[in-house]
Amino acid sequence: MTTREEFMARIRAEMGKTRGLFPATPATRPEYPREEAEAIRAQLAERWPEALERFRREFEKVGGVFHRVPTLTEVPQVVTGIARAREARRLVSWHPSQLGADLGQALAARGLTPLPMPPGEATNPTERARLRQLAASAELGLTGVDLAIAETGTLVLRSGAGRPRSTSLLPAYHIAVFDRTALVESLAQVGVFLELWHADGATEDRGAVISFITGPSRTADIELTLTRGVHGPKEVHVIFVEREIRG
Amino acid sequence: MSQADLSVPFRQRAGSAMKDAFLQEALTIATTKFIGLRREAFGDFPEGEKLRDVAREIKEATLQHLDRYLEQLIDNVERLGGKVHFASTAAEARGVILEIGRRAGARMAVKSKSMATEEIHLNEALEQAGITPVETDLGEYIIQLAHERPSHIIAPAIHKTKGQVADLFAKELRRTVAADPEVLTKIARGELREKFLQADLGITGANFAIADTGTIVLVTNEGNGRMVTSLPRVHVAVMGVEKVVPSMTDLMVFLAILAKSATGQKLSVYTTFVQGPRRAGELEGPEELHLVLLDNGRINQLAGPLREALYCLRCGACLNVCPVYRQIGGHAYGHTYPGPIGILLTAMLSGPASVKELAHASSLCGACAEACPVRIDIPRMLIELRREVDETKIAPRTERAVFKAFGRLLTRPVLYRLAARIARLLQRPFVRDGAIRSLPLFFGDWTRTRDLPAVAPRTFHERWKELAREAPP
Repeated sequence: MTTREEFMARIRAEMGKTRGLFPATPATRPEYPREEAEAIRAQLAERWPEALERFRREFEKVGGVFHRVPTLTEVPQVVTGIARAREARRLVSWHPSQLGADLGQALAARGLTPLPMPPGEATNPTERARLRQLAASAELGLTGVDLAIAETGTLVLRSGAGRPRSTSLLPAYHIAVFDRTALVESLAQVGVFLELWHADGATEDRGAVISFITGPSRTADIELTLTRGVHGPKEVHVIFVEREIRG
Repeated sequence: MSQADLSVPFRQRAGSAMKDAFLQEALTIATTKFIGLRREAFGDFPEGEKLRDVAREIKEATLQHLDRYLEQLIDNVERLGGKVHFASTAAEARGVILEIGRRAGARMAVKSKSMATEEIHLNEALEQAGITPVETDLGEYIIQLAHERPSHIIAPAIHKTKGQVADLFAKELRRTVAADPEVLTKIARGELREKFLQADLGITGANFAIADTGTIVLVTNEGNGRMVTSLPRVHVAVMGVEKVVPSMTDLMVFLAILAKSATGQKLSVYTTFVQGPRRAGELEGPEELHLVLLDNGRINQLAGPLREALYCLRCGACLNVCPVYRQIGGHAYGHTYPGPIGILLTAMLSGPASVKELAHASSLCGACAEACPVRIDIPRMLIELRREVDETKIAPRTERAVFKAFGRLLTRPVLYRLAARIARLLQRPFVRDGAIRSLPLFFGDWTRTRDLPAVAPRTFHERWKELAREAPP
């Protein structure tokens, strides 16, 4: 078995034989990610309508469906509309504390079947297996959004307590709810937030996964024919809420 | 054609690929489509050219301090609760992974598409150890059912028709369905969904790993990367050492150009950042995370002639534009990595002797270097490989003799001028319209597929002398 020391010694020995092909440095990282992130937020507080329009355009280009409502109160109506047209009823959701609202009752009142998921981890393996089967049986997955990238029409979701990875993955229809505070313009700006999330080990109170989602799951592996929903959702919807969700 | 048989010479493998009418059509359609999509994506993205330079520089900068970034990566992965393993060879990597599987009591492994695991021939080893490997990328799943190997880095099953896929599903899955991509994809979704939920082991490659945060980054379109890293109890990622990048900021540069180069998408559907095993409070995620760092010939090239090939992102852009790949497809190359970059990677992994024929499977037109998102100078390294193949006397003796004689001729002016005169005489019976279209004896091999330009009626030297006489300075 090669040990870390042996492996690294091999690398150092080879590195010592060359100075490389040309003088090079990696990309310049934000020196103060917190301040830069705040500056981006401040810009977006002004420019959000343009960013939202660009997001909508790009999101639709990658096969997403965009909805817009004035307040959270209208969200269940949109969700039910999507569900009815697809004869879907069973729904898993991020925990209300993570979603910013408890929509369970309103959705149930409209004829959907919200499946109860715990706010944190399963207490034992049997329970974990049961919850996984439950999530796998859902047709609709309702999540929030940490960042929405206008340049690419991408949703950024962080996993964690009350934010199961499977909610945006196993159901055939993923519905994500967000407001203007999630909007960023470019991948470069996302880089600033990613640096911020990891500065000073700040990420450790979160889950272990960050997912960038750019439209529904797709493949073109058979004769280059574009087909949706190969493993992940075959439809991704976003509902933009005009009034800030945690206002 | 199915799997390339390396006992058959490359010439013959390429020949049969060129006679395969379906393969020819599939290759033309696929590569032309990818070229168009890539061009469009960069056309809409003026900052792309600059970002390619930046990306290239990041790769070079990373290699210049590879030890530092790897140490950082290892420390961070372990801090987050992962375990890092070191594999100098393919065999060692297989051993490490089998041991992890054995300890986990694994009986089935779901895999997301990974060239690194193809490179180490992991599937055969898993099978022998009683762990059933299941490829979950649709293209990989199809070729696994067919017992073949990928023919393109990002579209592994482009050589198959929907009819062939339907026949395959009927035979292997006992599901008789229409030859419709939509229906076939749905069948695969159902079959593979069960496997995701059952498997004990999830195996992936890594498109990138971020030193500063200990993050393993996976890029997929289907979502299988997310499944494999969320559902099984154990996750193993296999990664060549060159895939490390310093920071999240660097990663964003690569993400901005990777999918555009591969499929013309602005981003692939899923970019998944994995930072250690499941954390407290999380419902899903593996209990164990293992990162296998793979050398397998890479470290040797840090100061070697193929160093630049270590920049490769595995996007497949150089395959699509290569006039040779477009004619013969991936299987004829006979190794894990096809296309222009594949020749270099094969030489890196298996030594220059393994590419003595392949080093010549390029017209050196430069389209690959032009398409490469990090501007790898593939033609330069191919030429160097040819020289190395020649110097180490791997090339056939006649070829070496001809080139040696030619070399002598070029370095001795008197001899050169004399030879030009003789050639002018000798070529007379063969020249038509300024070109030699067929030659007798073994020279005929050369002219069978190309024309040789005729020696000019007057050489440049002769014309120069005349000009100097006519117009003295």
